[in-house]
Amino acid sequence: MAFCLLYKPVLQFCEIVVNEANFVRKCIGAESCQDDLWGKLVCTNFKVSFIAHNSLPRQCTHRLLGEHDIPLACVEQVVTVNDVKGKQKILGSNQKLKFNPTELILYCKDFRIIRFRFDEAGPESAKKVCLAIAHYSHPADPQLLFGFEYVGKAYNKIYMRVNGVDPGGGLQTPLFDCSSDWDREIKRTGASEWRVCTINQGYFISPSLPEFFVVPVSLADQDLKQYACCFYSQRIPLWCWNHSSGSALVRMSNISDPQQQRKVEQRISSAITKSHPLRSDVFKSDLDKNLPNIQDIQAALLKLRQICVIDSFEESEEKWLSSLESSRWMEYVRTFLRHAVEVVYMLESRHVSVILLEKEDRDLSCVISCLVQLMCDPHCRSLHSFQGLIQKEWVMAGHRFLDRCNHLKRNDKEESPVFLLFLDCVWQLWNQYPAAFEFTEVYLTVLGDSMWVPVFSTFLFNCPRQRAEHSRDFASSKSIHLGQDQALCFPPVWDWSQQFSLKDQTLFNNPLYVGKIATCVQNGTVKTFTHRRSKVSC
Amino acid sequence: DRSSGPRVSDTELRVYKDPSKDELPLLPEELVQDSAKDVTYICPFIGPVRGSLTVTNYRLFFRCTDREPVFGLDLPLGGLSRVEKIGAASSRGDVSYGVVCKDMRNLRFVHKEPENSLKKSVFEVLMKFAFPVSNNMSLFAFEYKQVFPENGWKVYDPLAEYKRQGLPNESWRISKVNDHYELCDSYPATLFVPVTITDEELRRVSSFRAKGRIPVLSWIHPESQAAVVRASQTMVGQNGRRCKEDEKLLQAIMDANAQSHKLFIFDARPSVNAAANKMKGGGFESEDAYQNAELVFLDIHNIHVMRESLRKLKDVVYPNIEESHWLSNLESTHWLEHIKLILAGALRIADKVESGKTSVVVHCSDGWDRTPQLTSLALIMLDSHYRTIRGFQILLEKEWLSFGHRFQQRVGHGDKNHTDADRSPIFLQFIDCVWQMTRQFPAAFEFNEYFLITILDHLYSCLFGTFLCNSEQQRLKEEVPKRTVSLWSFVNSQLEEFVNPLYVHYPSHVLFPTVGIRHLQLWVSYYIRWNPRMRPQEPVHQRYKELLAKRAELQKRVEELQREAANRMASSSSERAGSPTRSITPVQTFV
Repeated sequence: MAFCLLYKPVLQFCEIVVNEANFVRKCIGAESCQDDLWGKLVCTNFKVSFIAHNSLPRQCTHRLLGEHDIPLACVEQVVTVNDVKGKQKILGSNQKLKFNPTELILYCKDFRIIRFRFDEAGPESAKKVCLAIAHYSHPADPQLLFGFEYVGKAYNKIYMRVNGVDPGGGLQTPLFDCSSDWDREIKRTGASEWRVCTINQGYFISPSLPEFFVVPVSLADQDLKQYACCFYSQRIPLWCWNHSSGSALVRMSNISDPQQQRKVEQRISSAITKSHPLRSDVFKSDLDKNLPNIQDIQAALLKLRQICVIDSFEESEEKWLSSLESSRWMEYVRTFLRHAVEVVYMLESRHVSVILLEKEDRDLSCVISCLVQLMCDPHCRSLHSFQGLIQKEWVMAGHRFLDRCNHLKRNDKEESPVFLLFLDCVWQLWNQYPAAFEFTEVYLTVLGDSMWVPVFSTFLFNCPRQRAEHSRDFASSKSIHLGQDQALCFPPVWDWSQQFSLKDQTLFNNPLYVGKIATCVQNGTVKTFTHRRSKVSC
Repeated sequence: DRSSGPRVSDTELRVYKDPSKDELPLLPEELVQDSAKDVTYICPFIGPVRGSLTVTNYRLFFRCTDREPVFGLDLPLGGLSRVEKIGAASSRGDVSYGVVCKDMRNLRFVHKEPENSLKKSVFEVLMKFAFPVSNNMSLFAFEYKQVFPENGWKVYDPLAEYKRQGLPNESWRISKVNDHYELCDSYPATLFVPVTITDEELRRVSSFRAKGRIPVLSWIHPESQAAVVRASQTMVGQNGRRCKEDEKLLQAIMDANAQSHKLFIFDARPSVNAAANKMKGGGFESEDAYQNAELVFLDIHNIHVMRESLRKLKDVVYPNIEESHWLSNLESTHWLEHIKLILAGALRIADKVESGKTSVVVHCSDGWDRTPQLTSLALIMLDSHYRTIRGFQILLEKEWLSFGHRFQQRVGHGDKNHTDADRSPIFLQFIDCVWQMTRQFPAAFEFNEYFLITILDHLYSCLFGTFLCNSEQQRLKEEVPKRTVSLWSFVNSQLEEFVNPLYVHYPSHVLFPTVGIRHLQLWVSYYIRWNPRMRPQEPVHQRYKELLAKRAELQKRVEELQREAANRMASSSSERAGSPTRSITPVQTFV
């Protein structure tokens, strides 16, 4: 009886097995097969699971994933091989396979490469499980991502008892999806000349902005509605944060209408100036001109992956440092940090407000605005405020997580590890200021990995509006009553109890943390050419 | 008084709190030899600064006068490897002086020549006192008479250390054959050898090993009895000489360990170099002569290659760093590659001993450079005692000092001959390897980074006698322990500076570090510490001290509570027992 239990994959309550194959060998060592594991390969609608025959059930620390599990969203490429016929095929969704695979190689987004051999498995079941993995790792629609199933079932289960689902599970992390979170942030930073604007409620003005955001008090709703149409995707400039000197950090997309450009720019600038206690000028920082673009960042990551896991160990070991340099990943990390330092200098020493200018204001600005706040504001270095910061500058500001993660594997050109690059920048800061951050390297690593567990609201959508729309569609198609909620209550990644026990979560706490007393961490800093490859990035 | 003791300045430019006060902190017996005003120090980071330069018999002290905050340079003369006049005097009579330091920095000063040609310039005085050995003077260590609460010369007692390892035992004995350094003048007096080998046989072996450095025990595994044995190369020569006593000795070493029927000989050199040594009479053990022994070459290069690599590293890090090519420039110095090979070699040794339960013999050519690097690193991996502050001191005293690493030659204390081919950063490399291990095992070492930097700073400073001379015999002849202060007196009198708050004592943990290049780091806080932009930005050292204080406080609280609980338990149990011999105050009941 117990033996049978071992053979069964551990399923989430809404998870279903799609296909499976027995007598599969999971390759562990690169050279010999002596450490290889025998077992069953299972594809579910959430993950690729491998249940080893002769290993004892390990107490797994992860609540959603077992030791050998790979979430489908983490699978980058599915390669099937028949080494007898010398054939190889990269599988997409809904494809045919003309040979019986002897080997399956999964290239994962988190740099893992996992190999399964089917020498002893039934050829048909091997083929079927490969095709299933390929198919399910290429969902045709966002609503096929496991998160919908996961949260939908939760509604059915809980709705009967409680009226709705607790949005953040009693979280201390502000999500910035309501005006009170913004009010608190305004109060905290002493930004008295700024106000919460509600004109985008229902997303009627801009499709990619949140419902609530902050603008200078001198700009009336009527003006904002008028200016909105000049900006890319009607993105009215967003207030991020106020320095204690009163200088504001604002992010802004390009003005699409060249005839209006000067006039609108001037209006916005003068409004920001009016909101500054010293009425100082505004400095515009053009991110597109000074920073690598998303394709550059993606190319650097691919090179980094090449030297980390694809090239032979001996080869990469010999030329490790120069290969690392030529990947340009570290250079980009440095560029971002340096740029953030320049912005900090303007805010802190020149006492001027800064506008971060980016064409769409949805990628590079997220990184820079967060880094600036981390450098200047000790408050942001506590765990909950750091999470709030990501919520504010990434999730609510409309970073296209769905496209950048390429969860649907539809458009490789849109894929870019901007968020990972940001985590690497934070890791560098963390290394230079080991006592300034409440969280640890483990926390940063786990946060990066969570991008590939597709159940969290944080990483599933391109913007809040998209989340709301998909929620509504999904809810109506599954007859889920949302009650008072605007959208399905996906757990944010910040609800760490979804993934880890409280005991494991203690690994997030940095014992060297000195609390919020530490001051600005930027002065004369950036020496990001520390040769060590970021552990976060690999 | 501890505050007057020497402090290692970890920043080049020290800021002085009260600029009006002349704050030259003199040590006991330290005397000002000369000083000059209007000297300009050409700082590579902040540009020229004017000030006064003072030379004592111990240090060079520069204090700037034209800047707020007031700061200065304060470095021991022992750290200087070269002082020279650069070019001719300028039209204004200014002369440039360059000072090359052993600790990865170069200094440049500009000064007017004295108008009175009879008067010596301060730099001539500097040259004299920087190189006392070349000028027939004694090193400052012999003058310095600071008294510390603890006598560091007592840290290492060879018999006590071997006793800790359970020696002598039925297989290993103490030999008095080198009591008066007759067998080998670079070896210690106390040697441990297999019981089955007589002193006479050891004498024969000594003629077959380079410089008489016979295979002797360094360390023995407490459970398996696998031994780490060190030696120099065999004098095989081109004709393939053999020595039956040497063969017997190695067989005896193998036999002393019942767990294994094999012996591993680790030759630190690249096999090509080892073979080339045959031309000079040296060589390595042939597997014909030494059956049951397996010879492994560890591919570590010689002292000249290491010196050149460090020179290149200095070019890359001082004074300016080319940021866009930092990683490839670092790679081209090969410094980390050498570190990797040394660590990899030590790892193989430790693995053979721990996992293979096999005894090992380690040697290079003379057995005093690469051999102590390998044995001491392997011992740190194998034996947690050597990861404590005192244990590490014992390790240095034993593997490096008593076994004759030629510190005088490798560092060139007080010697102006800076091009001497015998100089080489072998010990620095070892400390770097230790640092790499502390990075990989942050809780396994009792000491912190500052401890390692302090050791390196005093390797050059010539303030303490610890690193003087080339061998135990020389140190005794010069009466170093009697006439100088040990570095450990200084260190052990302020241990709180050197304690790692994250340290956890796991007595039987063996450390197997990862030695791939991708796991190694450049020790920035040592090699690039003079560059203000590369300094750690947070006083972690201070934070560590706070953590230690917090730990002590909590520890005390725990003890208090335990005592309280114990008392309560005792009193409640005695009450219940109601011992008739004790008078218990009767409980009065009011009705």
